[in-house]
Amino acid sequence: MPESPDRVTCQEVTELVTGFLEGALPADETALFEQHINFCGGCDWYVDEMRTTIAAVGRIGEEDVPPELRDRLLAAFRDRGRS
Amino acid sequence: MTQAELEGRDATAAEAGLLARLRAGDEAAFEGLVARHYATMLAVAMTYVKGRATAEEVVQETWLGVIQGLDRFEGRSSLKTWILSILVHKAKSRGVREARSVPFASLGPDEPAVAPERFRDRGESYPGHWRAFPRDWSASAASAVEDRETLRVVMGAIAALPPAQQTVIRMRDVEGFSPEEVCAALDVSEGNQRVLLHRARSRVRAALEGHLDA
Repeated sequence: MPESPDRVTCQEVTELVTGFLEGALPADETALFEQHINFCGGCDWYVDEMRTTIAAVGRIGEEDVPPELRDRLLAAFRDRGRS
Repeated sequence: MTQAELEGRDATAAEAGLLARLRAGDEAAFEGLVARHYATMLAVAMTYVKGRATAEEVVQETWLGVIQGLDRFEGRSSLKTWILSILVHKAKSRGVREARSVPFASLGPDEPAVAPERFRDRGESYPGHWRAFPRDWSASAASAVEDRETLRVVMGAIAALPPAQQTVIRMRDVEGFSPEEVCAALDVSEGNQRVLLHRARSRVRAALEGHLDA
């Protein structure tokens, strides 16, 4: 929640950014947020950084399944329908 | 039809295909599914039970339940939501036996997204504004997310998150669950879901910043 009704600070931008990207801010806060990043280069970059972060998280890929677990599950999958 | 609707239709068709392969006993399809969801399932289980070994057991029990239930699955939710609901059910009953508290009810203390000393104090001019702007990443960002070293940093940052944050960022940003699906699967409010996502993304951003600025 911004402290002032007519502006948001940079610090508030860093806390509201997820709500903004999710489209979850009330209309008046969205307007204040957009107004701020239009005039503040640092916060504009910050919002871009969050978008980059989200893209990077989306690319981390799979983690290895422990081989014993994988083998046990595959055996159970193979047995399906036989019981 | 909007882009989102088109993507939704593609996803539904892809899922019907996957389900048919699983029911036909396609082992490669099953192995791929296990690998795709493994890290997220482990993170979810870790929010309810203590210790990685127990969490791995919960994941195993879940897959055995999935295998048994495959023919009964009616497709009223997506396959991954169904799998997660089985997991949460099993993890919860195991957690109750271990007398662990409900993990998503309290969020813990506030955590600032960015260290407060990077902003001007109340007594100064422009309180709450950057002392120094964060560095502009835009030039390096596109290549950064392709870089294996960068992705290793991201994976390390996610692995270091508290379990509830790790669960939410994995479900949302790795697996592509919608906020509604996360809230339903974990029985967490929309507001708490967003706070956990925000804290998780903010921590990963900070780790990326440390890496890219170094």
